[in-house]
Amino acid sequence: MLAIVGPSGCGKSTLLEALGLLLRPSELGRYTLGPDGTDLAALLQANNESALAEIRSRELGFLLQNGGLLPFLSVRDNITLPRRLLGLPASSERVRHACVTLGLEPLLDKRPGALSIGERQRTAFVRAMAHEPRLLLADEPTAALDPQAGERLFGLILSLVQELDMAALVVSHDRSLVAQFSLPRLAANLTSGGCRFAPEP
Amino acid sequence: MRPSPSRAALILRLAIQDLWHDRQVSLCIAAALVAVIAPLLLLFGLKHGVVSQLQRELLDDPRNLEVRMLTSGSYDEAWLDDVRALPGVGFAIGLTRSLNTQADLLKDRRHFLKGVELVPSAIGDPLLADLSRYPQGSGVVLSEPAARRLDVAPGERLTLAASRRLEGQQERGRVEVEVIGVLDAARFPRPAAFIDLELLIELERFRDGHASPLLGVTSGAQRADYPLRYARARIFASEGEAVAGVVEQLEAQRIETASRLADIENVRAINRVLGLIFGVIALTALVGCLASMAGAFMANIDRKRREYAVLRLLGLKRPAVAAYVAVQVGLLSLIAFVAGLGLFALGAAVFNRALATSHLASGVVSHITAAHALIALALTLGVALLVAAIGVARAFSIQPAESLREA
Repeated sequence: MLAIVGPSGCGKSTLLEALGLLLRPSELGRYTLGPDGTDLAALLQANNESALAEIRSRELGFLLQNGGLLPFLSVRDNITLPRRLLGLPASSERVRHACVTLGLEPLLDKRPGALSIGERQRTAFVRAMAHEPRLLLADEPTAALDPQAGERLFGLILSLVQELDMAALVVSHDRSLVAQFSLPRLAANLTSGGCRFAPEP
Repeated sequence: MRPSPSRAALILRLAIQDLWHDRQVSLCIAAALVAVIAPLLLLFGLKHGVVSQLQRELLDDPRNLEVRMLTSGSYDEAWLDDVRALPGVGFAIGLTRSLNTQADLLKDRRHFLKGVELVPSAIGDPLLADLSRYPQGSGVVLSEPAARRLDVAPGERLTLAASRRLEGQQERGRVEVEVIGVLDAARFPRPAAFIDLELLIELERFRDGHASPLLGVTSGAQRADYPLRYARARIFASEGEAVAGVVEQLEAQRIETASRLADIENVRAINRVLGLIFGVIALTALVGCLASMAGAFMANIDRKRREYAVLRLLGLKRPAVAAYVAVQVGLLSLIAFVAGLGLFALGAAVFNRALATSHLASGVVSHITAAHALIALALTLGVALLVAAIGVARAFSIQPAESLREA
């Protein structure tokens, strides 16, 4: 799990969108994914939308700042939607385990509108990892929460990511939170010409 | 990740769940459509009811098929055969000179009618079609006013009498006839007797000064070679559409006619005008409905921009999004159509109840045929298709990346 940190407006989200195949970079050196090294750079340059959409839905998981849950589906349906869209069995051991760990089991039949923000973000996290993506992209998942709840969610995400052996990129502006969990960081260095993200020791 | 049946079912279910979750807004959109469909159906039902009642009245009333000859002449049997052979002529029978188409009918001293109109008739006479009995020999059919004044019923016997003045002598011929039917006043409002043509000719000859054993008068001329001549003819077209043609052909023979062609034209004109009025109203309403539905749906899609973006992010491609929108529009339209049809049925029942008690509009019913309902459904789906196309165009502009950005 790698954190992307930096002040507001430095382009953290833009980086995430580019990595999430949602933006087409004007210049791109190399971008491969997975052990077989799918060449995403070539697909991006060819603007092969259909292939990109397929990789996005299969290999990537998005955890959005606002949850991005569908209000007309129950928690359970929201969580299983990515799996069902991919034609996978609706339930899996990992999802069940994540629900238990995150305390979502009593909430499964509720609509997102009936949940607290913390509960929504936990649901959104399970949805993001339900289809077992190679890479989880999280955009300020704790920004809408109070510090304690944010810390708790961050911890839960971290432990699950480690336990389930996923790769995750988490964008955060909260350096202290990232430091607290001693995550490796990509830090933004604002220069006059733009912004450069580099690993921080 | 090919589109599979289960995936299609999933998108269908998502679309329905979305609609149901937002049922208040969904109902509003459907209501906009119902508000157009129901009144249009009611209006069309009334128009159709009025026009078909007018047409039925025209078709049901054989008097509307009659082409009356205004000019008299001298026509023989061959001419009559030619008339019968004219295209569009359904029935034709000769008439004697108009002075001789009258006689007196007597039942007893208190019940008699002087100068009753005599109408020659035979099998196939459209006026008597409902009775299915035709005058033959001494059997006569009375019009209802005549039967009422004479106080007779079918089966009773009457005396038919006519007078003539021969060589300064007043003579009266009599023949006993049997009432075999009574014709409704709606078909023939004047007192009249429908009689066998032979009897009418016999009466004319009697008046012309011939002896007539049938009428019980032996004085007068006895000529076997008396030429059979008709002054006019009773002519009926075979159907309403044929009246104009028959009139035209008779006028080509310089025979002036009177017919209800104007009435038939009136119904056609009313149908045309009502059709035009309905068409303009329907078009206005449809355009308004299209605009309102498209607007509501576009606002709805804009409101749910983020949800659409999330769906795209989760891997729904554009065709899937198009299907999603189309399912929602189609479903709402179908619901609206069914509701509109139900409201039409209710409204039509109210109309029909009111119409049934109104003397003026008796027989008029508001109703539509299955074909009309299908056309209405097709129009509804046409509107839905347009709305869906507009909605899909809107939804296509939504990028999956929008889900990441705060609105």
